[in-house]
Amino acid sequence: MNRLTLENVVIKYGDITVINDVSLRVDSGEMIFITGANGSGKSTLTKTIAGLLPISSGKITRAEKISYVPQIEEADRNFPAKVREIVLTGTQRKGKLFYSKHDKELAKRFTNALGIDGLVDSEIKTLSGGQLRRVYLARALCGEPELLLLDEPCAGLDAESHEILFKVLCEILSKGCAILMVTHDDLDLTGIKANRVIRIEGGKIHE
Amino acid sequence: MNEILELFTYQFVLRALIAGSLISVCTSVLGVVLVLKHYSLIGHGLSEIGFASLSIAAALNIPAMIISTPSVILASFVIMFVSQRYKTAGDIAIAIASSIALALGIIISSLSGSVSSTSSYLFGSVLAISQWDLVFSIVLSLVIIAAFIVFYNRLFLITYNEDYARSLGINTTFYQLLISILTALIVVLGMRIMGTLLISGVIILPAVSARKVASDFRMLVIISGVISFVAFVAGLLLSFVFNVPAGAGVIIANTLILIILKVLVK
Repeated sequence: MNRLTLENVVIKYGDITVINDVSLRVDSGEMIFITGANGSGKSTLTKTIAGLLPISSGKITRAEKISYVPQIEEADRNFPAKVREIVLTGTQRKGKLFYSKHDKELAKRFTNALGIDGLVDSEIKTLSGGQLRRVYLARALCGEPELLLLDEPCAGLDAESHEILFKVLCEILSKGCAILMVTHDDLDLTGIKANRVIRIEGGKIHE
Repeated sequence: MNEILELFTYQFVLRALIAGSLISVCTSVLGVVLVLKHYSLIGHGLSEIGFASLSIAAALNIPAMIISTPSVILASFVIMFVSQRYKTAGDIAIAIASSIALALGIIISSLSGSVSSTSSYLFGSVLAISQWDLVFSIVLSLVIIAAFIVFYNRLFLITYNEDYARSLGINTTFYQLLISILTALIVVLGMRIMGTLLISGVIILPAVSARKVASDFRMLVIISGVISFVAFVAGLLLSFVFNVPAGAGVIIANTLILIILKVLVK
């Protein structure tokens, strides 16, 4: 089943073309790595797919349930919130105002899976960078996404956390989720096999 | 003491107490969202735009709400839009708009000879609350509290990270407009009892005080509401005892609470 289609997509910042006439198709169960040098447009592309940036031309067709983990979360580290509340927000969708029992079970399941179950009642301002990263990953997974966009998910995670993350990703891939992961890392170290590796260079993609 | 208790037998004092308490609780609840989203100055900007509209209403001799309500709502949309669109320019836009509005308000009331009636709006007056204002305050407070209960999870998410909410397909503009309209309405109501120069303090101070003790968003909203209610009642009493405008008394009470919490809570 198709989860994402990009047709001749062009993304510009003012007069600068960042992504130039890119087409891509991603199906359920596919894991795609997006690589490229700094400033090549990897994060811009994922942010656009997440619906946070407009396209200048072309067409994007995406699955309804998307979860996105940005490279840097633009949120106040001192915001008065506990881990449990932040994780649960991942289950919110258009037209859905309250959390169900199922949502709370998902939050419990993914906080357990990512090894942060002991932190659910902690205030987020007390967490380390790596712990907060796992909170955001748990939040994204809670949304039971059909398409998961991960921008440098391994940044700030230790080796054990990598292993835990990839185990969870393998599980959701087997359930039909498609994953698009931006990574700088040496692919051999990621511990997970990508179906395709895409390199962005000069605004174009090369497979 | 008996003299103070006797004051509450007067209808206008009771109206001010009920309407002011409800307005205080609601401004502080909205204030939590505004402070956390770094829109603290919005209340200040809106109230001064409200002052200009009150001056126009006084000059034209028409009911104040007819002009101030739509103009403050419109101003809140513009301020929210500019703050979001241009980020750092938001504070500048508020500062410029509020200065111009205050200047216009003073000029209009001077030229129309209505300085004495409009100057009471600058510092607030417990005499300003009519029977209709009381009814409007009760209805609006119920709407704000109901909106907070129904949209609590959304408001939490949008206040924490609006971009993430958008990536989930949530229409964040709707919630921005909702916050804008509710803030504008509460400012229009509150500025007459608290004063246009002081209403922004009633929006900001309880939320800032509550942050000293609240560990999560829900507690922040509740504690902010409680602090604002206590500060309003204490401020109203202060204003009677020392014969000063109510808004000034409420701000001083809020400030004392903030200082006490700063000292006691590390």
